[in-house]
Amino acid sequence: MEELVGKIGECIERGKVNKSSPYPKDMQGQDGTDELTRQALDSGVGPEEILQACNAGMKRIGDRFSRNEVFVPELLMAAKAMNAVMAHLKPYFQTGTVKAKGRFVIGTVAGDLHDIGKNLVAMVIEGNGWEVVDLGVDVKSAKFLDAIRQGPECTVGLSALLTTTMANMSKTVQEIKTQFPSIRVIVGGAPLTQRAADQMGADGYAPNPQGAVAFLNAGRQK
Amino acid sequence: MSLREVEIEKDVFEVAIDFTDLSLERGEVELTLGYSDGEIPVHFAAMIDEAILQLPKRCEIRAGYRVLDMEKPAGRHDGLIVGGKFFAMDKIVAGQLKKASKAALFVCTIGPDMENWSRHLLKHGDPALGYIADVTASVAAETVTNVLHDHIAERMRDRGLNVTNRYSPGYCNWSVSEQHLLFSMFPENFCGVTLSESALMSPIKSVSGVIGVGEKVEWKDYICDRCGVKDCTYRATRLPKGQVKIE
Ligand code: B12
Repeated sequence: MEELVGKIGECIERGKVNKSSPYPKDMQGQDGTDELTRQALDSGVGPEEILQACNAGMKRIGDRFSRNEVFVPELLMAAKAMNAVMAHLKPYFQTGTVKAKGRFVIGTVAGDLHDIGKNLVAMVIEGNGWEVVDLGVDVKSAKFLDAIRQGPECTVGLSALLTTTMANMSKTVQEIKTQFPSIRVIVGGAPLTQRAADQMGADGYAPNPQGAVAFLNAGRQK
Repeated sequence: MSLREVEIEKDVFEVAIDFTDLSLERGEVELTLGYSDGEIPVHFAAMIDEAILQLPKRCEIRAGYRVLDMEKPAGRHDGLIVGGKFFAMDKIVAGQLKKASKAALFVCTIGPDMENWSRHLLKHGDPALGYIADVTASVAAETVTNVLHDHIAERMRDRGLNVTNRYSPGYCNWSVSEQHLLFSMFPENFCGVTLSESALMSPIKSVSGVIGVGEKVEWKDYICDRCGVKDCTYRATRLPKGQVKIE
């Protein structure tokens, strides 16, 4: 049983989704997270235990990313493998048997239509066990504030592509902080830096999805 | 290689660039993704091949330029006058272009389809391919810009003129909001590219900029060592490794 759960974690780390997936090459023909999660649940393993193994796998791939041993494609494969697990665990989330780590609201700020970076961050964060609310692109402050009102126990992520839209980002950070001082806000996108994030009063900045995961996990421990 | 161009207004040209005019290497995409030589897992290498294969079908390349007189305003070093309008290019770009008597303002795009395909893949179960498609599209957009640049150089050479390196609003301290001024010099919807209030071009995979033209100008590499923009990609790729970064 333990072996089975360990294997799920390994498949997360390696991005092995299911038996028919050709990735990674050295695991071709083997079961992936899809089959293994079903088997684990059928043999009585609890969803909590499966999630722990997944988190461990996600952490290992995240650490390798931080060491530049793997890159965004590997993170995305791991997130995809995690999605396959989540599909099996969905009923347990619906009944409240297990809970997401928290809620993460993300959007590309007003005036900006660039969404690839935001989508990648959303996907990896979701793969790390968070409930993600994606507000889309060209999101005005009011929409962020509405989303916070609907579930004030959340963290907010803002994305921007150009320095021009970074100005709108700064406004949104300020409006969130005025109305909800305790909400933590993390910003990201190509033109951002830690310094720019500090200047606009954001709580965090990350240059990539893994940095955002680290920020969220650190926030949970507080 | 000579490309066909059409003069749609006086001194405004649209250039016909075909996919076969681009030479896009898988290795270039690999490097952009972060993998050094030969390190990329085969599966992702295959995804790059697939994205490259999609390019001819999904790229709607449009490119064009306008040649205008350019002069240096007396006593100012922070910009140049192009077609009678002052462009606040800041010192670096203005300095690099000051010997030019004309400016070729350009814009080019690969169209929206690669972007849309990437977004679709990302949302519908193939995130790695979606991401790789986006990066491949970005490399394609840069490659189109290179081809356009070479073409402009060739046409100017026909007139006995030389060209400089190219500079874009948003780089080298030249504010991206100057895109509005730049686009005001083009006919509306030039090359199918539009500009939002926040100076974002649609389609996303588009590039704009200026190339200096004149008898006395010469090509120079980017002078990243003298620029204050710390987090610029050009700096990251062009400065020798280990060189102290100037803040
Ligand atoms: C590739 C590229 C292009 C391509 C494609 C553009 C695109 N957006 O698809 C092309 C060649 C077309 C291009 C054009 C331009 N570009 Co450009 N481009 C880049 C480059 C090198 C990479 C951007 C990219 O697509 N990365 C891949 C994606 C997946 O990454 P991402 O969106 O940044 O997201 C990642 C992180 O930022 C982070 N992230 C994103 N959102 C969030 C949110 C949160 C909460 C967190 C924590 C993290 C996070 O995680 C993501 C995944 O790793 C950057 C420099 C750089 N190194 O970032 C410049 C850059 C974005 N470009 C820049 C500029 C200026 C331009 C142009 C205006 C130039 C011009 N005049 O033509 C145009 C604008 C295009 C437009 N539509 O208006 C500037 C923008 C800054 C500014 N001055 O405004 C940059 C930063 C370069 C610079 N000067 O240093 N560009």
